[in-house]
Amino acid sequence: MSRNTLLLRLTTAALAVCALLWAWFVWQAPIDSMQGPIQKILYVHVPCVLGAYLGFALTALSGAAYLWRRDERFDRLSAASAEVGVFFCTLVLLTGPIWAKGTWGRWWTWDLRLTLTLLLYLVYVSYLLLRSFTEGSERAARFAAVYAIAGLAVIPLNYFAIDLAGGRTVHPENLERGSLGAGMGAPFALGMLTALAAFAYLLVRRLEVGTLRAELDRLEAETARSEA
Amino acid sequence: MNALLAVLWKDLVSEWRSRDRLVAMGVFALLVVIVLYLAAPPGAGPEARAHVPGLLWVAYLFAGVLGLNRAFATELENEALSLLALAPVERGWIFLGKALASLLLLLVVQAATAVAFALAFDLDLWPVAGRLAGVAALGAAGLCSVGTLFSAIAVRTQYREVMLPLLLLPLLVPVLLGAVRATNALLLEGTLPWPALQLLLVTDGVFLIVSFLTFEVVLDE
Repeated sequence: MSRNTLLLRLTTAALAVCALLWAWFVWQAPIDSMQGPIQKILYVHVPCVLGAYLGFALTALSGAAYLWRRDERFDRLSAASAEVGVFFCTLVLLTGPIWAKGTWGRWWTWDLRLTLTLLLYLVYVSYLLLRSFTEGSERAARFAAVYAIAGLAVIPLNYFAIDLAGGRTVHPENLERGSLGAGMGAPFALGMLTALAAFAYLLVRRLEVGTLRAELDRLEAETARSEA
Repeated sequence: MNALLAVLWKDLVSEWRSRDRLVAMGVFALLVVIVLYLAAPPGAGPEARAHVPGLLWVAYLFAGVLGLNRAFATELENEALSLLALAPVERGWIFLGKALASLLLLLVVQAATAVAFALAFDLDLWPVAGRLAGVAALGAAGLCSVGTLFSAIAVRTQYREVMLPLLLLPLLVPVLLGAVRATNALLLEGTLPWPALQLLLVTDGVFLIVSFLTFEVVLDE
């Protein structure tokens, strides 16, 4: 059994177990006395944020590692984590407004965190577009790495910019110890684990596709050479 | 340093001989002013005034992106870009030369656009002209630094004219926000808020350093 197959099986198993337990705990969790059932969306929303930030951080880090070492594997990791990060961020940006409409009464506000997340999302969507519009894997890797690093550098600047613009924070603060009602901790914790497992599963899958694609490109180039 | 001056001189001379970038940017900015004037609420009431600084920066931004799109297009002819990359100098200086040339062109267009804005929206810009020029220059520096870096990237992708704004706009938020805030305070209250200037200065610094350092990799073929 190759290392990839083993990883894939491990992450699939972890994902299946976590997802089942998570669904059960979310089902069992008490209904929030203030917000009602809509509060349960947060058991999806918050774990997805973890997946999104993890993906974007990994994209920039492996991009930088690629520029340093010029090893194709770092570039494939960078591309894979950007795609998985964008997937999770899409879920964040879908579940957030649904919850907000029920609780704040409006789909969107230009709040600090909402705006930051949206901007970050657009940066990484542009990153994926840049990759697909650049011919040549080596060139795409270099360009994408530079863009990912610039995208990371702009996060603190955006933070100050939106703060300056008076982006009031209506978004709930990070969970503090004891701020969750009884029975709400377990679904959150399992949600985080499920998000991690889903992240790992999707990343391994996407890495496999990347490896196969690189192999295909190599074989095609070889065939073209032998025919010429 | 010599490389910076050589690239800057080359860009300015070739622009002076053709004048195509400057004319295109200027005419485009003028068109944007007209469109924005027609789209703004009628009359010269406070509601119409409140949006002017933001609209001014929309015109600057569009003209800037148009100019930056051309910054490396000419270098593709006769493989000039490869020859630039082969020059035995630190590539950061080549970047600075290109960025400075784009910045100077944008500053000229910004001045002309401000005049057009003053006429269209009936503003008296003369008392704040010096400070407005300073804010415009700070914003333009941020735009041209990452803009030049991404222009060098976008020009070697498919759909190059589309790629540059897609890459640039999500990263320009701090520059735009700082510049619009500062211009807003300047035009409506006649003051310059320090936090907005701070944001502009820090953003310009970060963008310059990141672009200077990574330009090396972008030209690496």
